Amino acid sequence: MAKSSTAKDALALIRSLRSAYAATPTNLKIIDLYIVFAVATALIQVVYMALVGSFPFNSFLSGVLSCVGTAVLAVCLRIQVNKENKEFKDLPPERAFADFVLCNLVLHLVIMNFLG
Amino acid sequence: MNPRMAPRMQSVVRFLSFLACAIPFVAILGLSFSPENPTDRRILVLVDDLAIKSSHSIYFKSLQSRGYQLDFQLADDSKIALHRYGQYLYDGLILFSPSIERFGGSINTAAIAEFVDSGHDLIIAADESASDLIREVAAECGVDFDEDPGAVVIDHTSYAVSGTDGDHSLIAAGDFIKSAAILGSKTVEAPILFRGIGHSVNPANNLVLKVLSASPAAYSANPKTKLANPPAIYGSSISFVSIVQARNNARVLISGSLKMFSDQFFLSGVLKAGSPIKHKKSGNEQFLTEISKWVFHERGHLKAVNVRHHKVGEVDEPLMYRINDDLEYSVEIFEWSGASWEPYVANDVQIQFYMMSPYVLKTMSTDQKGKYHASFKVPDVYGVFQFKVEYQRLGYTSLSLSKQIPVRPFRHNEYERFITAAFPYYGASFSMMAGFLVFTIVYLYNK
Repeated sequence: MAKSSTAKDALALIRSLRSAYAATPTNLKIIDLYIVFAVATALIQVVYMALVGSFPFNSFLSGVLSCVGTAVLAVCLRIQVNKENKEFKDLPPERAFADFVLCNLVLHLVIMNFLG
Repeated sequence: MNPRMAPRMQSVVRFLSFLACAIPFVAILGLSFSPENPTDRRILVLVDDLAIKSSHSIYFKSLQSRGYQLDFQLADDSKIALHRYGQYLYDGLILFSPSIERFGGSINTAAIAEFVDSGHDLIIAADESASDLIREVAAECGVDFDEDPGAVVIDHTSYAVSGTDGDHSLIAAGDFIKSAAILGSKTVEAPILFRGIGHSVNPANNLVLKVLSASPAAYSANPKTKLANPPAIYGSSISFVSIVQARNNARVLISGSLKMFSDQFFLSGVLKAGSPIKHKKSGNEQFLTEISKWVFHERGHLKAVNVRHHKVGEVDEPLMYRINDDLEYSVEIFEWSGASWEPYVANDVQIQFYMMSPYVLKTMSTDQKGKYHASFKVPDVYGVFQFKVEYQRLGYTSLSLSKQIPVRPFRHNEYERFITAAFPYYGASFSMMAGFLVFTIVYLYNK
C-alpha cells in the first residue's frame, strides 16, 4: 500500500517537474542538453579508465577535464542568460556568450597541450 | 761527417747518457711502495739493543728473504729520521724498542702518527718494561696497554707447561681472529707462546681488531705481589696481538710481547696445560710471518680498475643517462699477491646507484676472473646520481669507488604519442570541441 503510494508520489513529482520544465525557454533547454552531453561523456571516460587502468593518466585527465570544464562553463552561461535570474540583469546575454566562447577557447587550448 | 748533422748527434749522445743515468734511478724507485706495487720495501727497525738483531734473527731473516730491506738502528740514535726533504725514507717501521723513553733524531709520537697517516705501516712490540712513550704510540693506534707497570698477563688454565716457570705467565694462546686474509689460508695448529703485557681495544673503535685474544680465564696483574684489587683487564677482552687498518689502508700491528718474535719462542716446543699433544714447535713463526705479510701488504690489498658503464647495446660511456634507461656497469678487482695482481673472486661485491640514498643496490655477478658486472634500469627519478662501490671486508683494504653521473628526464619529443589505450580520451576531447561548435551554431541560430 505504502509502496504504491510512494511510487505514485514520485510519478507525480516527475510529472510536475516535467510540466514546469516545459515552460523553460528554448535557449536554456539547448544549454541543458549540451551539459547532459558533456557530463555523459565524462562518465563514459571514468568507466573506461576503471576498466583499462590509468596508464596515460595525462590523457585521461585532459579528456575528463575537457568535459567537466565544458559543463562548468555551460552552467555559468546558463546562469548568466537566465531571465529569471535577477543577479545578472545588467549583463547583456551577448556579453555572457562572448565570455563563454573566450573561456572555451582557452580551455581547449590547455586541453590540447595536456592531451599528450 | 756532414757538419750540419753534428749538433743533432751531440744531442742524441746527451740523451743516451741521460738514459744511462736515469735507468738505475728508476729501478731504485721501482723498489719502493707505490699503488702499482703496494708491498713495502724499505723498513726501519728500531731496537733498544742491537742484540735483538741476533736474538730475533729468524723473524728478520724471513722478512729479508721476502725482499725487505731492513735498516737496524738504535732507537735513541740521534741520526735516525723517518723522512728527509719531504720524502719518507721508509715504507714501514718496526718498533722493537719497548723500553725507550725518548727516540733519537726527529722521531716522536707525532712523527709516527704522521707516518701512519701518510699510509705507511707499523709494527709495535712491547713487553713488561714498556715505556710511557711506547704506550703513547700504541694509544695513538687505539689500543691501551694495562697501565700497571708490573702487570703481565697470567692465565692459570691455558699456560704453557715449562720446567722453570711457575707463575703461569708463559701463555699458550690459540684464540685467533677468523680471517684467511689476515692469517693466511693455512690454519695455525700449534699454540702461540706469549709472555708479556695485555692490552684492551676500545670497542667504539671499529678499525682495531683483536687477532690473538686471551682465554676467558686470563687476567692482567703483577705476579710478584698479592692481588689486592680486581685486575684492570681480564678475560677475553685482553688482546695479545691486535691490528689496525686505518681508513687510508695503512696497517699497524701491536703486540704486548717482544719475546714472542724471538728465536727462542719460535723454536721451542709447547705443551699447553691440560692438552695431551706436545707440539715440537710453537705456532709463533707461522703466525707472525703470516701476519707480517698482511701488515706489509703482501696480502689483502685490493685495487679496482677499468670502471665502465654504458647503455645496453652500446659501448661508449655516455655523459648522462635518461630515466628508465637500461645500463651496464662493470669493474675489475684485483688482489695483490706480493708479486703480481691476481683476480679477486668474491660473490658479495655490490654496486649502488646513489643519490642521497641508494636507489639501486645490486650484487654484481662475477666471471671468476676479477671482472664484476651488473645491469639495471635507471630509476624513474632524475638528478645527479653516483655509481658507488663500497667494499669493506675483514682483512682487505677498503675499496671506495664513486663516479658521478647525471640522469635527465624525457625530452619533449621522447614521450610516447598516440597511445591506443588513450584514444577514447582523445575522442572525448575532440568531441567536446565539435560539441562546442555545434552548440554555438544551434544557440545563435535558434528562434
